Order: sequence, then structure tokens, then C-alpha cells
Amino acid sequence: MNDYIPTTVQESRVEQPLIEKFSRKALEIIGEDNVSSDQADLLSTCRDFWPVNSIWMLEGSVPALPQLVVWPCSTEDAAALLKLANELKVAVIPYGEGSGTMGGVVPIYGGVMIDLKKMNRIRSIDKESLMVNVECGMNGALYEENLNREGYTGGHFPQSLRCSSVGGWLACRAAGQFSTRYGKIEDIAVTLEAVLPDGTIFSGRSVPRTATGPRVDQLFLGSEGIFGIITAATLRIWPLPEKRHMVTYTFENLEESLQAIRLVMHSGARPAVVRLYDAQETGHHFPELGDKRCGLILLIEGNSKIVDAEAAVIEKIAMAHGAIEEGPTHVEHWLKKRFDVSVASTLFQKGAVLDTIEVSANWHNAHSTYIAMQQALMAVEGTMLASGHYSHVYPDGAALYLTTVGFPGDDKIGFYKRIWQAAMEACLAEGAAISHHHGIGLHRGLWMKDEHGAGLEVLRSIKKALDPNNIMNPGKLGLAEVSTWQK
Amino acid sequence: MAEINQVDLEQLLNCALCPNLCRCDCPVLQVTGREAVAPAGKARLAAQVQQDFMVWNSELLEAVSNCLGCRNCTVLCPFPDLNLCDELLYSRTGEKKAGFSLPSWEPYLNNLKRYGSPYGQKTADQAVKVAKEAEVVYYAGCTTLANNPGVLDAAQQLLKKAGVSYTLISEDCCGYPAETWGDLELAGQLAAENCRKIAESGAKVLVTGCPECWQTFSERYPYWGHELPVKIIDGSTYFLNLIKEGQLKPEFIELKKISYHDPCIWARTAEKISEPRELIHKIPGITIEEPVYNGKETHCCGGGRMFQLSFPVTAAAVAARRLNDFSPVATIATACPFCREGLLQEGRKVLDLVEILALSCCNEND
Repeated sequence: MNDYIPTTVQESRVEQPLIEKFSRKALEIIGEDNVSSDQADLLSTCRDFWPVNSIWMLEGSVPALPQLVVWPCSTEDAAALLKLANELKVAVIPYGEGSGTMGGVVPIYGGVMIDLKKMNRIRSIDKESLMVNVECGMNGALYEENLNREGYTGGHFPQSLRCSSVGGWLACRAAGQFSTRYGKIEDIAVTLEAVLPDGTIFSGRSVPRTATGPRVDQLFLGSEGIFGIITAATLRIWPLPEKRHMVTYTFENLEESLQAIRLVMHSGARPAVVRLYDAQETGHHFPELGDKRCGLILLIEGNSKIVDAEAAVIEKIAMAHGAIEEGPTHVEHWLKKRFDVSVASTLFQKGAVLDTIEVSANWHNAHSTYIAMQQALMAVEGTMLASGHYSHVYPDGAALYLTTVGFPGDDKIGFYKRIWQAAMEACLAEGAAISHHHGIGLHRGLWMKDEHGAGLEVLRSIKKALDPNNIMNPGKLGLAEVSTWQK
Repeated sequence: MAEINQVDLEQLLNCALCPNLCRCDCPVLQVTGREAVAPAGKARLAAQVQQDFMVWNSELLEAVSNCLGCRNCTVLCPFPDLNLCDELLYSRTGEKKAGFSLPSWEPYLNNLKRYGSPYGQKTADQAVKVAKEAEVVYYAGCTTLANNPGVLDAAQQLLKKAGVSYTLISEDCCGYPAETWGDLELAGQLAAENCRKIAESGAKVLVTGCPECWQTFSERYPYWGHELPVKIIDGSTYFLNLIKEGQLKPEFIELKKISYHDPCIWARTAEKISEPRELIHKIPGITIEEPVYNGKETHCCGGGRMFQLSFPVTAAAVAARRLNDFSPVATIATACPFCREGLLQEGRKVLDLVEILALSCCNEND
């Protein structure tokens, strides 16, 4: 391996003789086509879409390097590889499509990347109970396309749909853009199959519900690879919707529109898409609506009679809160552009630092959290923009999604840390949760103690029980201090 | 040719910094599972070299070369001016070129230098001049001659049947493989030789039997500084025009349903989506059953950028994946020798459109 590219947060590396021993044994298990120490493979799996990685890439460095990449083709392969890693005490990091935004796959202690992309089959579809059993490495868009051909939808459409995997959704507790109707990934998942660090294969039961003690499968939702590897899942599916109704309303201000959405959710209506933009983002995404009012886009789908009824209920509530109806075209525009994040590529090349920060709040602090976080972000020197929208809603609250852009000059990493520090402090002070669906990874681990309190020790104890040698994605989820990446 | 194949670093970085809506559309990534050959994976490696953060080595070159040139990544790309396939090619052949080739390319480059064909001597004498002066030159292409010379026979039958004054030339490879394997000097030499022979034929029209040749003659030759003094037209469009002008009269044949596989270059570069279907519709007795991905969204057969020679295992896997998009019993029609070769797996029946048209227009006595 040519270490031509410098690393920035490499805490340590596994002793090379151990890696070589792992490699020899792995070759026996999965064959030479599935084991690589090729420089191109190591450089390509060392990162995800954590914006800091983009800064480092433009500066000619990488966060940290793995020492080997392996591709299991089956659950049994994954189990044998974990058993081997555990015996040799070699760090392993599960890798899906690399779309994470928090540095969750950065191999800060070196070790072996377990790339799961060769586990990419739909194993079976149960059309009677509306469930599908799918392997973890399947790309999200291909998963949905396969279901569509059979007349179904998976109901899960994160912005990363085309560049994320089923396993990644489960491992970071993802939320899709249609989640108000179909639920988040934890609602969609019936159960999952996972491999534990000692090689044990755990398979949950594909039944609607159990009262048989705490659900072990749910422990893996959001575990970000620290307990084991999710190898497959049984997910709920739905018949393709009979009807789709799209409408945009604008409101005088955020408070009024949040009230309207809250009442919609309390009415029992469940539109698939509910996205409320502040005036700044309304003007940016939908210029024809101007930047004085707040735009709310709604997409209702399903059985046509239910859709019509929900549309009528929502319209009545919206109008009672001073809404102006703007028709379906803005929703159609959003549907076309909803996966496009090209602005990040452009801005990073111009010297900007851009990130998105999503948090979870109840109705009583949904607006105040937005105000507090926006003000905190704008107070950081170098910030040019801090705008927001509410991307997911519930009867008890909403997800707030802030976008911030700054031009900090040379100290981009320092600026990045300062905006996050400001945003997280404001979020916690308002009583909101520090993440709604992007997860923790490396960076947000800095606030896990503030978020969980005593709960973090519970997580640490579970980790120790399941993974006593700490081989699974070490240094993530805030369970350890990472000296190379301090606040 | 130092000024050609220059990388647009801004566009390369646009891809490198993007999470890639196109990941699921890249056939190489989908069959290999290697992050290094994802569109952004390749773009990042190429960009690091272009920015002088790294230097080429065989591992980086192998990864960046793992692009079929199919341009499927451009279909939903949010950057309208980005053609990653070209940028990757330019990154390893332009100003900061690798300057060396992969071991697996060497025998084919040697064949090109010695015989004018990557396939060696076996294609050298198959296209033989048939007339001193003619209106049309038919250029089959080295892959057609190597893998399916029946297309040349079928084309000649059709040209004779239509009463077209045509000739062949002693073909040199168009130069596409040489550029793919990084030898731009050799590509230029082959282009010059083809230009000379075609000019000497006196023909006004050049009909190609291969999309790669068509693209090379149409786009790359002018870019390399070689102008062909003829109108360049692909075989299926040319023969469709002969039908429309009444010079060919297709008759009923017993194929019933066929599935048309759009070659990537026809569909996404030349945007020839309707012409081949129109040609098929002119043949009585045939209906078209479309595969899952068709038209502009067609999926590659695995034959682009000489993969069948350069990376045969990946090429075969991409082809097998593409076959899943067709009915298992479908007869597949296409208009590209690479596509035909790739899809000829698992006992599949794959025909070139020219062969089908010849079956319809020409009887054994023609």
C-alpha cells in the first residue's frame, strides 16, 4: 500500500501481520475475487458523504485508510469473516453504498472494510402478508424498481434512495420522504437478520408483533455497525397507490403553518409527503412562490376514496389557517428534483462549507428550535446562510432540517466544527433531539452523552457484551473518545 | 496530439464530490460491487491524479479504466455538461496520461500495430475491395469481422439487391480500441490510413456496421484532426432509407416477436431510437417486445470500451445482467457487434438488424 495520500483522523492501524493473516484466511473463505488490498479499493472505501471528507478530498487527503476490503456474498460468508476478525481482534467496518453524512464508515483504527454490495438479492416476496425479504447490500432504487415491477412499493424514499442500500437504511434508522404515510425504516422493518461478532447468525421472526421480551432485532436499528452486521431484512411493502393527489399551500409564517400541520396530523390524515419550507427556502426551491410566505407541499396517495377524504380534511384545516392554494405543479417540480444534491459539488469547489443538520422536536418547541438553531448558525463567523424546512411530521412533533453554507477561508475544518457546536448546543438547549435520521457516525458522537445521559452507558454495556473485543466499527456512535477529532 | 483529451477538472470534481444518483445505473459497479469503480469512485481517483495528489500506478489505472463508456450515468446526472465516461478516458490519456498500459491490453495493442486489428490476422483479409469506383463504402469494423462476419455478407446481399454501387476497403481498425487503451498516436495512424483508403475509393457515402466505428468516424476523427470526405451513416438508417425509397422490399419472415436491444451509442449518443424500430416495423410478420430498459435508458451489454477483450469477466457479468431484462424466450435483435457478442449467452438467439433484413429481403439465390 502506497501511503501517498495523507490521512487526517487515523487513530491507529491494525498490525500488518494480523491483516495478512486475516487476508490469507479470508481468501480460503470467500475466494480471491472477494479480497483486495488494491490501493484503489482502499482509497474508495475509506469515506462516506460526510462533508468533511469533501473538504479533505479537495485538499488532497483522506480521513483514514482501511487495510483490506472483503466482499461477503452470503450471510454465511459474513458470519465466517466476523468470527475470524473476532479471533484475530481485527477491526471491521460494514460498508454499503457510502452515502452516510456523519463519517460513520471512516476506518479510524484501520482494519477491514466489509463491503456488502455483493449481497444484493431480493430473496422472496410474500404477496399475501405484504412483506419482502431482501439482502442488505441492495441499492435502494433497484429495490424499489424491482418491487414496482411486481406491483408494489417499498414506501421508503430517502433523498439518498439512488445511492444508499437497504442495510444502510436500517443501520442508521433512516427516514424516507414519504414517511408520514409509510413510516420510517423502523416502522417498515418487520425484522432483520444479523451476524454477531462471534459469528452467530441472528434471525428475527417475521410476524406482525410479539410480546416476548425486548425485541433483539430492534437493537440493530440505528446501531451503525457497532453490534454486528445486518445481512438481510424483512420489510413491509404496499400495493402501488391507486391515486396520487398533490397540492401546495403557502402560509403567512412558520408558526401558522406548523399549527395547520399539527392539526392535520391530529385529524388522522396521513399524507405521504409533508414538507414545510421557511420563506427563504420557499423562494429558493420555488421562485414563483416568492420568498415572503412559507410553502407547504403535500402529496397524498393510496386508495382513491381515502385520498379524496384526506385532501378535503387537509384543505379545510389549511384554509382555516390563512393558506393560499397553489396547485400541484410545485410538488411535481419537487418530485423531479428531490434527489438532486449537485449544489454541494459546486459550492465545495468554490471554497464553501455546506452541511445539513436534522433534529427532532415536539410541537411546543418545533418553531423555537428552528429560531434558536438558525440564529446560532448565523452567529458563527463565516456563515452566509442558514435556512430550514420541516421534512417529516408526526402527531407529536416534526423533524427540522437546517441547511447552512459558509465561506470561512482557509480554516474550513475549524468552521465546520464551530457551526456544529453552535447548532447542537442550541438544539439541546431547546430540548430537541440531536438527530432525526442522519445518525451519529463519527462527528455527532461528540454530543451523544448530552443526548442520552445515562442511556449512553447502557449502550456501552450492550456493546461490551456483544462485542467484547471491540472489533465492530470502533470509535463510532460516541462510545469512545476520538483524539484526532475533538470538539 | 498533446492538445486533445484534456480533462475538465471542474466537471470531474462535480462527479467526485457528488453522492451519485447514477450508482444504480453503472453496470460495472452493479456487477463488481467495487466502490473503486463507482462513477464517483473513479472520478475521485482520476481527480486526485489530475490535481497531482497522486501518480498513476497500475491499480489506479485499472480502476479508472473500468468504465464501459455507456453513458448511462449521464441520464439522471444533475450536471448537464458532465460526461464522466469521456472525462475518465481523458484523465488517463490526456495531458496527465498514465503513459503505460495494463498487461491485459498489451497483446491487443500489439495486434493493432501489426495487423491493424486488435483481433489479429483473422480479420485482416475479410473485407476485400470489390469495385474500383463506387458510390458507397461499406465498413464492417474489426469486431464485426472477427465475431460475426455474416453481417458483412448480409450487408453485401442487401446492397446488391438494392442495386447500390458499393465497394469495400481493406479495413484498418477505426482507432477506437487504440484510444481506449491509451495509444493516441496509434489511433491517429489508423485514422490517417482509413481516411486515405476511403478517399481513394472515391465514394460519397460511408456506411458503418458498428456503432463504435460510426462514433469514431463521426466524432473522434474530426477531434483528432482527420476529416473523412464522405457522408457517414450507420447501417440500419441507411438500409431503412433504401426501404423507404423502394430499393428494398422486405417480405414476411417467421420471427414473430423480437426484442430490440438499443446499443448505448445509438441510444444515448446518436439518439437513434426510432430508426431501428421503424426498420423492424417495415418487416412483415415481426412485432417488437421491449426489454425492461430500452431507448435512452438502455443498459449496456458489457461490450463498451473493448471490455470483452480488456475485462472479459466483467463484460460477461454485465451481459448476463442485461439478459435478465429480456423475456427468456425472446429473440434479441441489435445493431452492434459488441452487443451481439455479449448477449450471445445461455443459448440466446441474437441477430443483427442487417441479418434480419437480409433474411426478409434476399432469398438464397440473390
